[in-house]
Amino acid sequence: MIAWKWRLPTKDGFVPLWWRWGFILLLGALASTAVLIELDVLRLLQSGGSLWQFLGQLLTVPDWAYIPKLLLKMLETIEMGVVSTAIALLLSLPLGVLAARNTSPHPVLYHCIRNLLNLMRALPELVWALVFVSAVGLGPLPGVMALIFVTTGFLGKFLAESIEVVDANGVIGVKSTGAGWLQTLMFAVFPLALPDFIGTVLYILDHNVRSATILGLVGAGGIGYELVMSMRLFNYGRLILIATAIYIVVTILDRFSDVLRSRVI
Amino acid sequence: MYVIQVNRAGKTYENGTIAVHPTSLNFEPGTFNAILGPSGAGKSTLLRMINGLEIPTTGEVIIQGQTLTSQNLRQIRSRTAMVFQQFNLVGRLNVITNVLTGRLYYSPWWSSVFYLFGQRDWKIAQWALSRVGLTDKAWERVDRLSGGQQQRVGVARALTQRPEVILADEPVASLDPVASEGIMELLREICHQDGITIVANLHQVSLAMGYADRIIGLNQGHVVFDDSPQALVEENLRAIYQRKDGSVDDSLEMAVTD
Repeated sequence: MIAWKWRLPTKDGFVPLWWRWGFILLLGALASTAVLIELDVLRLLQSGGSLWQFLGQLLTVPDWAYIPKLLLKMLETIEMGVVSTAIALLLSLPLGVLAARNTSPHPVLYHCIRNLLNLMRALPELVWALVFVSAVGLGPLPGVMALIFVTTGFLGKFLAESIEVVDANGVIGVKSTGAGWLQTLMFAVFPLALPDFIGTVLYILDHNVRSATILGLVGAGGIGYELVMSMRLFNYGRLILIATAIYIVVTILDRFSDVLRSRVI
Repeated sequence: MYVIQVNRAGKTYENGTIAVHPTSLNFEPGTFNAILGPSGAGKSTLLRMINGLEIPTTGEVIIQGQTLTSQNLRQIRSRTAMVFQQFNLVGRLNVITNVLTGRLYYSPWWSSVFYLFGQRDWKIAQWALSRVGLTDKAWERVDRLSGGQQQRVGVARALTQRPEVILADEPVASLDPVASEGIMELLREICHQDGITIVANLHQVSLAMGYADRIIGLNQGHVVFDDSPQALVEENLRAIYQRKDGSVDDSLEMAVTD
């Protein structure tokens, strides 16, 4: 028996058997899917040239005259993100409470609401935007509707999860005074779930502003439409401005949510 | 007339564990009662049954002649305030808000949605806060306070309910000796001045001997001692802290050497 200098903290000092097999299976699965999604190393290398060319074309003189319109469109995009987050937040409060195991009045209701929230999250914004565009026509409204729909599902689920991990002691303390269900929610459950949930809300706000930039692809308002049009018209002077604007807005939003988070928590 | 009557009330959990065997106890108004017993003797369950946080599986609990049912649960809770080992406050809210929650039973639901309290409720809360000597901390967040101060907020919340009974579940178990004495003094003062009946679960025999008018010993869900502190001798302590296998719980040595 050779005395190994290094060994793992397992019984025999080696990687456990199921880990070894799991690793081999995972590698096999990855290799077989590479063909399926046309992940071809040669093609990837060959496309390097055209990618370089595209990036080179971005380095043109920006179309400065476009800025006023850009600002207007950017503002519309931010508004879409903010409004949809605010409305989704309001809608998710009752849904989240009903979807949390410890605050839901009845198990049947709990399962129904859980399923409803799952349904809302099941399809991405872009798909719901397509649905709403055909329902109410082009413009920011179907975009906002799609964002509200999807993020209510997210916020409801995350609120429910924040509520489920709330410190039970505080809740029992308020209950023991004879407080009712709604009062216990307001004075114990919500304040205790807040720090956890506020992080989620800020993330969703960030996500919604970014999503709003893309919904224009299907004609649901925001800066995405401009982005696609300048791309199709090879208008690189505008494209570079749009990309920069999106980058700046997302960065500012990130800073803002950091500040808010540290203040609340 | 007794303020609390526990009539053959017992609690068996769904998994078959018997927390409290059917027990009968009566409490005189305005008295200070201590319940002693090893961990897992059913002390907490007994207190929680009186407040309705646990529903007895057998027997009944009667507060001032009123039997506790699911219909009057909130009303009974409002009259039997609780003080907890872990304080059970909402740490993120400020002191006065925590104290005001003692008035929630008397506030209409729509005002609670906007965190509004009437003038009378504010007066009572301020009075309670001055009783525990924390008026100057009213706007501080509770989780910024020391353990002793937090328990004072817990007592103030209980006082704000204007209850007939304060049930204290190990009120000093997470506090240092000095803070413990402070809380026990406060509870005794409340008992004597306001005539509020105190039922306190305690871990330390010395505290029970020093503050209570009556000591109840609980062991494995049975009452094994019920008399004045003067009548409590070492033989009784042995009965209270005895384990199933005949050995004696560590708390006895602590209690005797105290």
